[in-house]
Amino acid sequence: MTELAQNIVDGLGRGSIYALLALGIAVIFGVMHLLNFAHGELITITGYVAYAAFLRGASWFVIAPLVLGVAVVASMGIEQVAFRWVRGAPDFTLVLTSFGVHFVVEAAFLMYVSASVKNFNRPGWIADTVDAGGLSFEIFDLVVIGVTLVTLVLTSLLLQRTMFGLALRASAEDFDAARLMGVRSDRVIRGAFALSGALAGIAAIFWLMRAGQTTPGAGITPMLKGVLAALVGGLGSLRGAVIGGFALGLAEVLLRARLPDAIAGLTDGVVFLLIALLFIFRPGGFVTVSHAERV
Amino acid sequence: MKTRTLAALLAALVLLVAACGSDDDESAETETDDTADADAGTEADSGSDADSGSDADADEGADSDGSAGGVAGVDIDAALAADLDGGAEPPSGDPIIIGMAMDFGDVSGYADIPGSEAVSHLADLINCAGGVDGTPIEVQVSDIQGDPEVAAQVTQELLDGGAHVLIGPPFADIGESVLQVTEGEVPVFFAASTEPNLPDASINSFLVTFDDVAQATAAAEFALSEGFTRAITFSSPGPYFGTNPEIFTEVFEAGGGTVITDQTYVPVDDVDFSAQVNEIAGLADGTEVVYSAMLAFQITALRGQLEGQGLTDLTYLGTDAFEATGLLFEENNDGIYHTTHAFVEPGGRLDLLLKSYEEANGTPLESGTFAGLYADSALVGIQGILDCGCTDGPGIGAAVAQLEDFDGFTGPMSFAGTNGGPTKPVSLHRVVDGVDTLVANWE
Repeated sequence: MTELAQNIVDGLGRGSIYALLALGIAVIFGVMHLLNFAHGELITITGYVAYAAFLRGASWFVIAPLVLGVAVVASMGIEQVAFRWVRGAPDFTLVLTSFGVHFVVEAAFLMYVSASVKNFNRPGWIADTVDAGGLSFEIFDLVVIGVTLVTLVLTSLLLQRTMFGLALRASAEDFDAARLMGVRSDRVIRGAFALSGALAGIAAIFWLMRAGQTTPGAGITPMLKGVLAALVGGLGSLRGAVIGGFALGLAEVLLRARLPDAIAGLTDGVVFLLIALLFIFRPGGFVTVSHAERV
Repeated sequence: MKTRTLAALLAALVLLVAACGSDDDESAETETDDTADADAGTEADSGSDADSGSDADADEGADSDGSAGGVAGVDIDAALAADLDGGAEPPSGDPIIIGMAMDFGDVSGYADIPGSEAVSHLADLINCAGGVDGTPIEVQVSDIQGDPEVAAQVTQELLDGGAHVLIGPPFADIGESVLQVTEGEVPVFFAASTEPNLPDASINSFLVTFDDVAQATAAAEFALSEGFTRAITFSSPGPYFGTNPEIFTEVFEAGGGTVITDQTYVPVDDVDFSAQVNEIAGLADGTEVVYSAMLAFQITALRGQLEGQGLTDLTYLGTDAFEATGLLFEENNDGIYHTTHAFVEPGGRLDLLLKSYEEANGTPLESGTFAGLYADSALVGIQGILDCGCTDGPGIGAAVAQLEDFDGFTGPMSFAGTNGGPTKPVSLHRVVDGVDTLVANWE
C-alpha cells in the first residue's frame, strides 16, 4: 500500500510533465490543425541553452527563467520561419513541415555543436525526499505537480477570461468566421505559439532538471510522450490533453512497478497495448471533441 | 666501314643503356603493377589471387612474431614526434587507403566523429614522418547517416575508391550492412563495438575492442575481489544493455555472489527511476554493488534517487558507456567504477596523440578513448598489410588474424587464436575527485 501511494505520486509527477507537453500540442492543434512534431525541439533548444548557461556558472535560479523565455521565443520563431508559410495548407503539409523543423534543428545541433552528450548539473534538491505518514515522496515530484496545477489554472483563466483567450477559442471554432468578426489571425496564431512555447518551457525546466543532459535528439522522447498524451486524451481538447498526460505517466510508473519482474522490461509495450485497446473502444481518446479544431 | 661499325657500336651501346634503364623502370613499374593487380583483385576478382595471397600471408604472419611482428610496423613514436608544420614533403606513390564508413548522427557520432578525426590526424602524422616504409596513408571518410542502406552504398563507394581496409560504425545492426557488401574481401575493423557476435575472422570482421563478455566478466571478478557478495543489476533486454548485466550475473554468482534483484529500465531515455527505487529500498541493505550498462546521466540520476531514499553506501559499477556518455562531466560521479578501453596516461602515446591533435586543430578531441581505438584500427590494418606484404583483403585479414601483442594506443591486443575479437586488458577506472583514475588493467 505504501509503495502504491508512492507510485501514484511518482506517476502524477511524471504525468505532469507529459500533460504540459500535451497541452502545448493541443493548443497549436486547436488553432492550426497542426499536430506539431517539432514541439520536442523546444526541449532540445532549451537543453543546449541550459548547457551553455551551466558552463558559464549559472544556477538553476537563472537557468529556469532563461529556459522558459527561450522556449517562448523559439516557439514563435519556428512559427515565423516555418509554419507561417503553410498556414491553411492541407494537414499533411503541416505535419511534414513539423517533421522538417525537427530534422533541421537536430541536424543543426549535430553539425554546429556536437553529437556527444552534453551534461549539466541537476539541482541539488532533485532527489531529496520528504516523509509524510510513513511515505517518502520526492520533493521534485511534489514541485512538478504543484507547478503544473498552477499552470493549468492560469492557462484556463487565460483562455476563459481574456480577450486573447476568446479570440483563440473563436479562431479554433471557425478560423475564417473569427477573422470576419475582426479577430486578427496573425496575432492569435503568434499568441498560440507563445502559449505553447511557455507550456513547453515549463515542461522543459523539469525535464532538463531530471535529465541533466542534452543531445541533438533530446527532443524526440518528450515529443512522442506529448503527442501520445494528446492523442490519448482526445486531440483538440485541452482537458483531454491534461488527462492524457496524467494517465500516461501513471500507467508507465504503475505498470513498471506492478508487472512481474519477468515482463517488467515490456512496460512500454504494455502501455502501447493499453492505448491500442483504448482506441478500439474510444477512438477519439478519453475526451471526444465534436470539432477537432476546438480548443 | 669503320665509321659505320663505330656508329653501329654506339647505337648498340645506347640501346644497351636504354635497355638497362628500361629494366630499372620496369622493375619499379612491376611493383606498382603488383599493387594495382592486388587492388584489382580486391575490388573485382579477388578469387585465386586472394587465396594465394592469403596462404602466403598467413605463413608470413606465422613466421613473424606478430606483436610488433617480425615485419616492422608503423613507427608510432616517430609519427607522434612528427612536426606537421615542418614543411616535410609527404611521400608519394600509391597510398594505403583506409576507408571509414562512419555514422555522424547523434546515435554513433560520439565515437565516429572523434574517431574519424583521430585517424585522419594520425595519417597526417605518419605521412609527415615519411609514410609507412615510404608509402603514404590516405583516409577516406564517408557518412552513413545512421542508415543501413546508405551504409551499404557508402561501403561500396569506399571499395570502388580502392580502400584496402575499412573501419566501420559502432553498432552491429549497421555494421552488418557493411559486412554484407565487403563479403570478406576487405577487412573491416569495428573500433567502438563490444558486440560479441560482430567479430568473425572468416569474413574478415574484427573488433579492436574487448567485447561485452570480457568487460562484464572483468567487472564481476573485480566486484568479487573487493568482497562484494550482493549485487543489484539494471538491465534492458537485448544486446549491450542486456548482455552485460547477464554476463555479470553469471560470473558474479558463479564466484559466490548473489544478484538480489535485476531491475529493468529504458536505455538512453529513462531518468526517473522512482518505481525501481521504491522496490530496491525494501530489498537493499546499503552494502551492495549496483551494476549496469546504462548511460552516465542515467546512473547519476539513479544514484541520486537511491541516495534520496537513504541508500548512500552503494557502490556503482558500469561499462564503457559511462565514459562514452560523459561520466566525468556529471555531478554526483565520485567513486563510480567503470570499465573502459584505455587510460590516458600523461606522456603516453594516447596522451601525445590527443595533444598533437589539439595543437594542430586548436580544439581537443571529444573522446580520447575512442580516438585511441579508431587510431588502433588503422594501425592494425596497416600492420596487416605490412605483415602479409600484400594489399589484397583476404591476405590482410589473414595476417591480422595472426597478430599477437600488437601495441598501439589502447594497450596490447592479440588476434591470434580468436575469432576476430582480440584479447586485451579491460581498463577499470574509478572517478576520484572528478578525475578518472586507473584501478586496474584486468586481464
